[in-house]
Amino acid sequence: MSPYDAILNDLQTLGEMPLRRWRERFPGFRPLGFMNAYLPEELFHAAGFTPVLLLHRREDRGQAKAHLPGFTCWVARSALDQALAGELEGLAGVAFAQSCDAVQALADLWPRAVPQLPAFYVAMPHHLAAPAARSYLLAELQRLRWRLEEMTGQAIGDEALQASIALYNRTRALLGRLHELADRLPPPALHAARQAAFLMPKELYYPLLAQLLEQLPPSGTGSPRLVVVGSELADPSLYQVIAEAGGRVVGDLLDLGQRHFALPVDETGDPLQALADHALALLPTPTKYHPQRRRDAHLLETVRTRQADGVIFARQKFCEPHGFDYVMLKAALDRAGVPHLLIELEQTPHVGQMRTRIEAFLEMIGA
Amino acid sequence: MPTYPRLQSLKTINRAMEQYYVKRKLMARLKPVAYVTSGAPVEMLEAMGVLTLYPENYGALCGARREAVGLCEVAEVAGYSQDLCSYARGHIGAVLQPAHAPLNGLPKPDLLLCCNNICGTVLKWYEALADHYDVPLFVLDVPFQHGPQPQPHAVQYVVAQLEALIAWTEEVTRRRWQPKKFRQVLALSNETLRLWQEIRDLGRHRPSPINAPDLFVAMAPIVALRGTRQAVEVYRELKAELERRVADGVGAVPGERHRLLWDNIAIWYQLYRFFRPFMDAGACFVTDSYTNAWAAAEPVDLDDPLPSMARTLLAVYINLDLPSRARIVADLARRFEVDGMVMHANWSCKPFSLTQSDLQAAVREEVGVPALVLEADMCDSRRYNEGAVRERIAAFLEMLGSVDGSLL
Ligand code: SF4
Ligand code: SF4
Repeated sequence: MSPYDAILNDLQTLGEMPLRRWRERFPGFRPLGFMNAYLPEELFHAAGFTPVLLLHRREDRGQAKAHLPGFTCWVARSALDQALAGELEGLAGVAFAQSCDAVQALADLWPRAVPQLPAFYVAMPHHLAAPAARSYLLAELQRLRWRLEEMTGQAIGDEALQASIALYNRTRALLGRLHELADRLPPPALHAARQAAFLMPKELYYPLLAQLLEQLPPSGTGSPRLVVVGSELADPSLYQVIAEAGGRVVGDLLDLGQRHFALPVDETGDPLQALADHALALLPTPTKYHPQRRRDAHLLETVRTRQADGVIFARQKFCEPHGFDYVMLKAALDRAGVPHLLIELEQTPHVGQMRTRIEAFLEMIGA
Repeated sequence: MPTYPRLQSLKTINRAMEQYYVKRKLMARLKPVAYVTSGAPVEMLEAMGVLTLYPENYGALCGARREAVGLCEVAEVAGYSQDLCSYARGHIGAVLQPAHAPLNGLPKPDLLLCCNNICGTVLKWYEALADHYDVPLFVLDVPFQHGPQPQPHAVQYVVAQLEALIAWTEEVTRRRWQPKKFRQVLALSNETLRLWQEIRDLGRHRPSPINAPDLFVAMAPIVALRGTRQAVEVYRELKAELERRVADGVGAVPGERHRLLWDNIAIWYQLYRFFRPFMDAGACFVTDSYTNAWAAAEPVDLDDPLPSMARTLLAVYINLDLPSRARIVADLARRFEVDGMVMHANWSCKPFSLTQSDLQAAVREEVGVPALVLEADMCDSRRYNEGAVRERIAAFLEMLGSVDGSLL
C-alpha cells in the first residue's frame, strides 16, 4: 500500500469507529462530543479536551424513541440513540451550540435523558449582525470559559487559548487547500479527509493531512464537477455513489464543510473576542441570519469559481432550516441556469435509488 | 346526540376578527402594513399606527376553514418539504396563489418583523417573505432561555435590539416614534393580558365554564388585537358571560366528570369535532399550555418598558427550557385540579413537540396524572388518522372512567 493509500485508509476507518473505542485509539487525549457547527472548539481544546463530532449512524437501537418523536431529524435522534445505548461512554461531556430547534430540544432534554454525560449548551445569536450580538456572544463565551475552568479546576489562560487557535488555524489553512484541490481526490477520500478533522485530535490530524496533500494524484479530467449542499453528511454513501457514477465533488455548502474552515481566527489581540468575531464573520448556516451574507449568492459564487456543472442537495428529512434554505438556493440556481438534484436523507440511505437518480442527473448535465 | 351550551361572546370575537381582516384590506393603501410573528412586540408597531397582520393566525384560519391542505400543496410544488411547519406552508401557498386562498390572501406587507422567541422556522419563513415581497425585514433575536430567570446579558441583548427596532420602524415607515401613544398601547396590552389571565382562571371552577376549543377561538384577539381597546372590550364581554355561567353553575360540559389539560397547538381542522367524544364522556379541557402562553406574561413596566418587555419576550412558554415548562404545566395541573392530560404531538411544531415526552414524564412525576399522546398536525389533515385517534381517545376515556388515574 502506498503511503497515500495508507493515510486514506486510516482516515476512512475513523468514520466508522464507534466513539467508545476512541480513547484506545487516541490515548492521552480527552474526548468531548459535540453536535454541530458554531461550537467554539478552541475553547474546549484549551481546557484540555478534544472536541469530537457526534456523527449520526445508520443503526437505530431504538433508544431515542422514548424521548424524541419520529418526526425529529435523524441527526439529533441518532445522537441520543447512541448516548442511551452506551456508545458515548468515555466522553467527558457533550456540547451543543444554539442553532436549530432540533438541537435545542436535544440539548434541553439531555440532562434528564442522559444525566451521566454532562451537557454544555452554548448560546449564540441567530442574527449575526444584530446590534449587541457581539457583546452577547462574548458574554456567553466568557461564561463557557468559567464553566470549563470550574469543571477542570484549571484556569484557561490567554496563551493556552491562543495556542489552540493557532493549531486550529493551521488545520483550517490545510483544509482550505484540500478543498481547493478537491478535484484531485476521489469523492469518498475527500469526504473522509474532511470528516476526520472532526474525529481526530488536531495534533495528529494536521501532519497527516499535510502528508496527504503532498501526495495527491493529478486532477481527474472529464468527470462532471459537483457541489454538494446540506447540513451534515455523516454517511459516506452519497460520495461513494457520486464516485461510482463518475462524478467529482469540487465544492460544498455543508454546515461543517468549506464554510466552516473558510476564515482564520485572528491570532492577535484578545483570543475570546477573536473567537466571537470569527463565529459572526463566517457565512451563516441556515439556522442563522445575516442580511448581507447571503447563502444563495455564495452558492452561485462557489459554482462559478469551482467551475461546477451541477449541484446536489443532500437534505435531511425533517430538517426545517435546510428545508427552507433549499427553496431559496434552488431559485437562485434556476435563475442562473445551474442544474440541481435533491436527495432526501433518512436514517438509512437508499443507495440503489440514490444511484439511479445521480446517474440520471450526471447523464442529463452531460458533462 | 347531546347539545352543549354555546358562548355568545365567541360570536363577538369572531366578528371582531372578521372586521380585523376587512379593516386591514381596506386600510392597507393608507397605512403601512407589517407582518409580525405571534411572539413579537407588536405594541411598538401599533403605537406608530402600523397595521399588523399575523401570518400564523392566518395559517390557523386556513386550517380551521379546512383550506390549509390545498395551500400547503401549492407550497410543496414550489419546493417546500411536506415536513415543514404547516402554518408556513399554508401561508406561503396563499402568497403564491392568493386567488385560491381564504380572503384572497392577506394584503401585501410593507415591512416584516420576525421575533424568533417561538421557533427557528419563522426566521426562514420571514426571510422567504422578505425576498418575495422585496420589503425590509427586522429580525428580533431572542435567545432561548435556560434556567428559571433570564440572563442579564440576554436581557441587554434584547433591549439593544428593541431600541434599534424603534429607529428602524421610524425609518422604514417615515413615521415618528410616539412615546405617549406607546404608553397607552402598553397599558391596553397589559389590561388585555390581565383579562385573558382572569378568563382562563375561571376554568378552575367546577364545573368549568370554558373548554379548550372555546379558548382556542377566544385567543385570537390576545394575539392579533393586543394593545387595542377592542381587545379589552371583547374580553370584558367574554369574562362577564363566563362569570354568569359560574354563578349559575353552568359548565361548558354539562355533568363535568373529568378535568383535563391540553398540551400544544390546536388541531384546527377538527376544532370542535376532536373534542366531541371527550365532551360526550363528560370530560372538559379546563386548561391548556397553548393559550396559557399569553396569560403567563408579566405586565410591562410603563415607566421603563424596554427591559420588562425584553424579559417578557424571553419568557414566552416555548422559549423556556424543559424544567421551566414542566413547572408551568405541573402548576396548571394542580391549580386547575386536572385528572389527565392530552398531548398533541404536532408534526409541524418542533419546539413545542420534540421535548413533549420528557415534559409528560416530568409533569407526571410531580402531579401523577395519566397522559394520552396523539400524533397529528395543527393544519395538515393529511397527518391525521381519525380512526386511530378515535380509538385511542375511547381507550383513554374508558381508563379515566374506570380506574383511578394514579394507578397508572
Ligand atoms: S439536520 Fe437540520 S434539524 Fe437536524 S440537527 Fe442538522 S440543522 Fe438541525
Ligand atoms: S414551528 Fe411552531 S412556533 Fe414556529 S410558526 Fe410553526 S407552529 Fe408556530
